[in-house]
Amino acid sequence: MRSVDRLCLAHLWLAFGAFAGAAVLGVWQMWVRSPLGAHTGTPGDYYMSVTAHGVTMAYVLSTFFIMGFGYFVAVTALNRPLPGQGWAWTAFVAGIIGVVMALVSIALGKASVLYTFYPPLTATAWFYIGLILVVAASWVWCVLMFVSMTAWKRENPGVPVPLAMFATVANALLWLWTTAGLTVELLYQVVPAAMGFVQTVDVGLSRTLFSWTLHAIVYFWLIPAYIAFYTMLPRAAGGRLYSDTMGRLTFIFFLIYSLPVGLHHLLMDPEHGNGTKFIQVLLTAFVAAPTVLTIFTIPASLEIAGRLRGGRGVFGWIAALPWDRPMVLASGLSFVMLAFGGLGGLINMAYGMNAMVHNTSWVTAHFHLIYGGTAVIMYFAIAYEIWPRLTGRQHESFSPLRWQLWLWFVGMMVMTLPWHWLGLQGQWRRVANFNYDSPIIAGWGPLVIVSLGGGLLLLASALLFVRNLAVLHRSVLPAPSGSLYALAVVPPRHVPAALNGFGLWNVLVLTSMLLAYGYPIAQFVIAPSPTAIVHRIE
Amino acid sequence: MTELPQPDVPDRPWRIWASVAVVAIILSGALLGVIIIPVVQGRSAGIDAFTAICRALGILPGSPAIPQIVSRNPPTPVSQVVWTPAVLQVLADAKVDRGRAKVQEVCVACHGEQGVSISTDYPNLAGQSGTAIYKQLNDYRTGSRTNQFMTSVAQALDETTIADVAAYYAGQPMRNPNPATLGAPDAIVQLVELGDPSRNIPPCAACHRHGAGGPIDAPVLSEQRQEYLTAQLKMFASGQRRNDVYGRMRTIAAKLTDSEIDGLAAYYRAGLR
Repeated sequence: MRSVDRLCLAHLWLAFGAFAGAAVLGVWQMWVRSPLGAHTGTPGDYYMSVTAHGVTMAYVLSTFFIMGFGYFVAVTALNRPLPGQGWAWTAFVAGIIGVVMALVSIALGKASVLYTFYPPLTATAWFYIGLILVVAASWVWCVLMFVSMTAWKRENPGVPVPLAMFATVANALLWLWTTAGLTVELLYQVVPAAMGFVQTVDVGLSRTLFSWTLHAIVYFWLIPAYIAFYTMLPRAAGGRLYSDTMGRLTFIFFLIYSLPVGLHHLLMDPEHGNGTKFIQVLLTAFVAAPTVLTIFTIPASLEIAGRLRGGRGVFGWIAALPWDRPMVLASGLSFVMLAFGGLGGLINMAYGMNAMVHNTSWVTAHFHLIYGGTAVIMYFAIAYEIWPRLTGRQHESFSPLRWQLWLWFVGMMVMTLPWHWLGLQGQWRRVANFNYDSPIIAGWGPLVIVSLGGGLLLLASALLFVRNLAVLHRSVLPAPSGSLYALAVVPPRHVPAALNGFGLWNVLVLTSMLLAYGYPIAQFVIAPSPTAIVHRIE
Repeated sequence: MTELPQPDVPDRPWRIWASVAVVAIILSGALLGVIIIPVVQGRSAGIDAFTAICRALGILPGSPAIPQIVSRNPPTPVSQVVWTPAVLQVLADAKVDRGRAKVQEVCVACHGEQGVSISTDYPNLAGQSGTAIYKQLNDYRTGSRTNQFMTSVAQALDETTIADVAAYYAGQPMRNPNPATLGAPDAIVQLVELGDPSRNIPPCAACHRHGAGGPIDAPVLSEQRQEYLTAQLKMFASGQRRNDVYGRMRTIAAKLTDSEIDGLAAYYRAGLR
């Protein structure tokens, strides 16, 4: 095994190990909120668990998976060694130290502030410093991705960067842009408060800075799924990518339109004017553009594969696809969850309809369906696809892999569809328990139990996933050879510089962030609002 | 980033049209969101165009679509204590030594030098939150809370001395943070930990334990005198004591039964040395 393979596996195992632990917490949280487990544990236990679950899933699973996958893409798509492996290992160790600091703070009951922090609530400074370490580690990864791509471009003048690497660098740049908000919030406002240097905090400003991060971070989590759709799925299905240019445009759209839109998370907040919210809601509508491109391009690619496999007629090519292959199956299931999650998201972004679902289980359902469903099921598929390349061993059977993917899909649907409905009924989120003695709330009970059933399926799937990867390490079958990445129907020979780099797009991101966030942030300096007293969890 | 020339693929149109598209989308959003929609909405709400635009930008408070309603009720606060940064600074600057001197001179007679009171009618102050002591002494001083002894004692203190005394008692040995471990009826433990949602009673522990959420002036209750707590809860329930901001404790205490008041007071007494 090469050293870079060990680097990838270390990141991915850390991500998935943490994921399995957090899945257990998720089920426990659903249990105590259901009529079956009412009055188990205290609200303090619940918020501690929610914080651990959220921090692990949102910062540990996502960040370390994306880093590990990025290193893998940089080596395999560019076919050249990873530069700065010492830096990569140092960042990994720093990241682990950060994770331990954050999780120990949570376990000691000193950081029950959820992964979204909510100042003026303030955890121990160790919690935030730990998370900043994780973010700093990911920045090292961003730099290494960028350095890999520019070095490859120098060695291959005029040749288009392979789409998988182009998309990975788009994600790294997106991450650098998006973490700026969170980092400024933590370093400028929250850590000084946690350390006792200041007694009050401007909550409006901190919420605005977090909103800078909060939407684009979801696209950071989602982009690996799209990388798999564009660069792995067409080959796994036995076909070709319909259009390489569509792929490049998709990832560019993600970069420029997922950032200046965060105020739609603050539609109910009083610190911003309706007009500035409107601008960002309009831009939010454009975030649908890359998904629309994908809905066209990927089924077109699959149709090519289906027809090559003998599919006939308008829909016959769908049945002809090799659904027994994990990558194909996971992508199909991911698209179904993306459809439900995406349509729900259109409701969240609409000012009026958002007011009705704001802070209800609808929102929890939406982000579990998009991140836990659409994105994470593709993390599984990617892991199944690249693990043989990393270990040199092949899965002995695809059957447990398919079981695991189906369990995840069914579990996610059974968990989140009732949540959507309960949200419309007014079931609020972020509360530790419900009083099922009340006649209105009692009516929610059966659906809450159904969603708990979905949660149990998800836990079973999570454990099966870890098992599937673990047994692969002892498999005796040799790994498949040949390229992992799909060719385009018309492989690009030359592309415009705009579609082969990010200079132009970074300038446009800067411009749109200045226009969309300039005044909303500047207003806190021009006319400071009343500040809130820091409330330390000690 | 330096781009290599690719003569057969023109790049200039990309730069121009991508920039035009992105900026045009944002500016059209601004035109609609900050000018057209607020002006039209403001017209039907009787708001002039300039005000409507300022409101849409967030320069003026309120929505461009709704006339701003201004309350004309005079404020009647139940407590004069406001947690401004200046007040928090006074507390941060408090001197424990000066506090000890004042305690030995005055407070010791009833509350004890270590904050363990001489009578079950007087509260223990050892390890009490400094902000809680500060608020209560200030409330006595300003008349928001009254007591035949404490009113005159507090009126003789200035703000700095109050902060010193608060810091001194707050620094006395920490109380037992979890009296639940000492045994109490399940119904009472449930009230403390989970409250009773069917009566809209929040859990006591949500505010009254070290590091809990809630108002920063909420006192820590563990190891408190049973008779003192019973008397205070009954005074809140009857409205005789009314220095709780937003009437939080009056609302809660009025919903408690007498036996619950006794049970809670006994629960919090547990662990008393």
